[in-house]
Amino acid sequence: MLSTFSGIEIGKRGVIAHTHGLITVGHNLNNAGVEGYSRQRIEFKASDAIYLPGLNREETPGHIGQGMEVYRIERIRDMLLEGEIVKETGNQGYWESLDKYFQMLGQVYNEPTEHSIRSLMDSFFFAWQELSENPTQMGKREAVLKHSQALIDGIHHGYQRLRSIRDMLEQDVAGTVDQVNTLTRNIAALNEQIQKAKALGDNPNDLMDKRDMRIEELAKLIDITVNYNQDPDELIIYTNGRHLVQGKQYLQFDTLKTEANEGYSLVIWKDTREVEQFRGGKLAALLALRDVEVRAEIQKLDLMTMNFIDLVNAVHRNGYGLNEKTDIDFFKEYPYVLNANGNYDRNGDGTFDSSYIFRIAGKHTLDPQALIGIRGTLTLSGVTGNVTVEYYPTDTVAEVVARINLSGAEISARLDEEGKLSLKGMPAGDFNNPDFVIRHIEDSGEFLVGYAGILNNSGTDGAYDWEQVDAATVLRADGAAFAVAPLAHPAGWIEVNQALVNEPASIASASGINGRAEGPEDGSVALTISDLRYKQVMIGDTLTLDAYFADLVASIGLRGQEASKVHETENLIMKNHKDLREAISGVNIDEELATMIKFQHGYAAAARFITEFDKMLEIIINRMGV
Amino acid sequence: MNRVSSNMAHLDAQYHMMLREWKMNQMQNKMGAQTKIKELSDDPLAAAHSTRLKSYMYRMGQYKENIEQIQGNLAFSESRITNFLEVLQRIRELSVQGAHGIYTKQDMQAMAVEVNQLLEQLVSLANSRNGLGNTIFSGYESHMEPFLVMRGRVENSEGDFITALHYRGDIGKNMGEISENTYVEMNLPGNQVFWAENQHIYANVDATGYQVQEDSVIRIDGVVVKLNAGDNIHAVIHKINESPVGVRARLDPVKDSLVLETTTPHELWLEDVDVSSVLQDLGIIQSGKNTPPHNIAGSANVFGGSIFDMVISLRDSLYKGDHEGVNAGIGGMDLSIESITTTLAEIGALDTRLQVTAHRLDYELPEVQKLDSQEVDLDLAQAITELKMLEYTHQAALATSARILRPTLLDFLR
Repeated sequence: MLSTFSGIEIGKRGVIAHTHGLITVGHNLNNAGVEGYSRQRIEFKASDAIYLPGLNREETPGHIGQGMEVYRIERIRDMLLEGEIVKETGNQGYWESLDKYFQMLGQVYNEPTEHSIRSLMDSFFFAWQELSENPTQMGKREAVLKHSQALIDGIHHGYQRLRSIRDMLEQDVAGTVDQVNTLTRNIAALNEQIQKAKALGDNPNDLMDKRDMRIEELAKLIDITVNYNQDPDELIIYTNGRHLVQGKQYLQFDTLKTEANEGYSLVIWKDTREVEQFRGGKLAALLALRDVEVRAEIQKLDLMTMNFIDLVNAVHRNGYGLNEKTDIDFFKEYPYVLNANGNYDRNGDGTFDSSYIFRIAGKHTLDPQALIGIRGTLTLSGVTGNVTVEYYPTDTVAEVVARINLSGAEISARLDEEGKLSLKGMPAGDFNNPDFVIRHIEDSGEFLVGYAGILNNSGTDGAYDWEQVDAATVLRADGAAFAVAPLAHPAGWIEVNQALVNEPASIASASGINGRAEGPEDGSVALTISDLRYKQVMIGDTLTLDAYFADLVASIGLRGQEASKVHETENLIMKNHKDLREAISGVNIDEELATMIKFQHGYAAAARFITEFDKMLEIIINRMGV
Repeated sequence: MNRVSSNMAHLDAQYHMMLREWKMNQMQNKMGAQTKIKELSDDPLAAAHSTRLKSYMYRMGQYKENIEQIQGNLAFSESRITNFLEVLQRIRELSVQGAHGIYTKQDMQAMAVEVNQLLEQLVSLANSRNGLGNTIFSGYESHMEPFLVMRGRVENSEGDFITALHYRGDIGKNMGEISENTYVEMNLPGNQVFWAENQHIYANVDATGYQVQEDSVIRIDGVVVKLNAGDNIHAVIHKINESPVGVRARLDPVKDSLVLETTTPHELWLEDVDVSSVLQDLGIIQSGKNTPPHNIAGSANVFGGSIFDMVISLRDSLYKGDHEGVNAGIGGMDLSIESITTTLAEIGALDTRLQVTAHRLDYELPEVQKLDSQEVDLDLAQAITELKMLEYTHQAALATSARILRPTLLDFLR
């Protein structure tokens, strides 16, 4: 015999369950437009029927159904798709940042217009040509100074912009690290709440939605993988092999300013202080931009400026001004150290330990087409470690020079105006090495020794190495010339020698013979300077200034184009994924309304059933046996 | 995908509208700037090419300006030299007249007076300055008059007359660039233009057994000749003859000394460079006085004079009434006129070369501009068409979006 009120109980269960259903539908409808919301679906199940096999069961044919109840409220979300989205978001974040910054970088150069450093340089060199045709005219000298100043302003401006982009990136890095830390903290807190709720058997759907959103935000910043299934109570987020978040435990990052990298910060784990390399996400992009791309652009500008200063000054020093003064630098040179041998204390312990030399020129005049007739191996400093260059008796001098330039050594070679072999240091790939310093030169044969007249001896004994004091003593004392390395970032400090600004008649235009100047109408030195514009002067590994500027533009343009195209592709991929997610988890209003009608009817039916049962009870209570 | 959420349609419509608006914006920007390349990433290789082309165009423009300037200078020099030639021709007429035996001493003296005046004019032409105040025939020494006038007495006359002219300029030729790696000389040194005879220098030092002590460098007419230690006189002669300088060296059979002869009329410019003393040791140059041109050794014999020397000797002969002297003078004038006409021919040839180069640049510049334009300029017709297309699709999309806000089930329930 069932209890009196079991019918009402069944009705009540129905009413309440359907009310829950309606509430869930209402929740879905309200949140249809909310970002990151996944629709929830209520699942009913039939209540346990009676009677279960046992000794205290009633002798009635069963099972008698006991109505329905809410089983669970499920969140419709495909976790496999989530994993895909997390991965792709990392890529999207990476390329998005690259695209944005490459656009900024591309604009620094102002090419291919008439307002670029290149066109200022064209005007500068042409002013020298005009001077060479009328060397007695003071007006032409003033013009040279004015155009020099315009060019210098252009170079400074370019340098400042690149520098400020690098500073912007530094701020971005710091900001992003803060964001990452905040997100990991939030995710861990959410993990804790979700864990507690699940422990009680609930489905904390909205909390999980929020957590998923945070995870997606985090994925955009750094490359992570999420493990949803391993332990349902503890969500683990990995990055680069470490557990970034595990349940309510989380790790944090910190930034460490590094002197070798000009004060820019590395990202480290707060607990172990170890440096972390990221491979995806916005942070990886920012670090790559800051430390590789923008640094390289600044180095390129410095390289051009340094070579430009060096070339112009070398010619200018040998020339004579209208007032017959000679041996004057056109651009003021700031050496890294005020020490004739370039001695420098690198590790700051109070004693000199390195030599900072930028350029070494040999003693002997070489003919580029001559066959060298000797065999040996050159060992030159490369980006990391040393690079070897072989030379054979059947090579010409020009071939050996080209081989040095293509070898990947951080040294460039050329035959200067007097035909002597000139080796110059290049910007360094590794931050720990200074720019424009020659680090190692060694020759197993005679090419650099007897043939070019640079070193005194072959082999390791005669090698030039920067990590010793007075390294210049291994160079031939009677003829090899060398120049001390410049202060960092020539593009920042380039300026015209003030002596020339004060006295333009000192600007060299004439050459000299036997220590005396040619007459005032001689403009040959000015002509030589103007010809540097298209001669093969070797700027790093590009032959001419023309090649350098074209290469600059093409290089940044191609990288920008790649970033832009991949970014567009990533956007499309993300859109596809998100569309798929929307299809699965998005609210469809019509669907909800149909469901709502279903629950409404269910509710009405259950209520009706209660009314009927109530009537039956009323008969028993009020009318039976009265 | 079977299920469509209510948001999807809105999101899709938004996405496509944003994309199209972005494209329209890009197109409008490019049209405004008249360039295909708003960002370097739009077409990096074209941008790189364009930088080279633009620099090249700039250079070509400068070369054209250079050519114009050089032509201007040249025209100025040419007018002076033409004037000079006319005066020479008048002097020659007078010399032919004076050689006739029929004129008396007084007649000849009258002619001498005229020749003297013409000589003064020749000197002022040679020493003339251009618009900038620089002398044009002094080589590099353009603040100085090329010819220093020495005055003195002449037989059978009263007053100070020009007796000799010393060249004080140098042989520097300023180079102007008219094209990539192509230079032309911009000026004419006076001691090459105004010279009548080939110069011969006979040293008086016995050169047999002479050996060069150490590696030396000498300069003849500005051309470097390198000598090695141990070279004897024959090696020296051989090296001088092999070098591109217009001078023949030989050994005098009588005195066994060095003889240098020019192959075209000009004054020899000789110097020892740095530590070298070869020319001094061989008795060509005065010891210790190294700066040309007045550095020929006192012991050496020098022959071959300038045009002025010719005219001065002619005038002096006329004053003296010396018919043979005047006759010889005609020969001198012929040499002078020949020298000047040669120079005028060279100037003419240079002018032609400049014109040819200028024409080539005139042709080349628009061609390069066309190449540059192909790389970076916007095809306006194409751009406008694309913009129109975008506008139409945009309108269509907006209209369709309006329909997307379709009624839901809610509209149909009570």
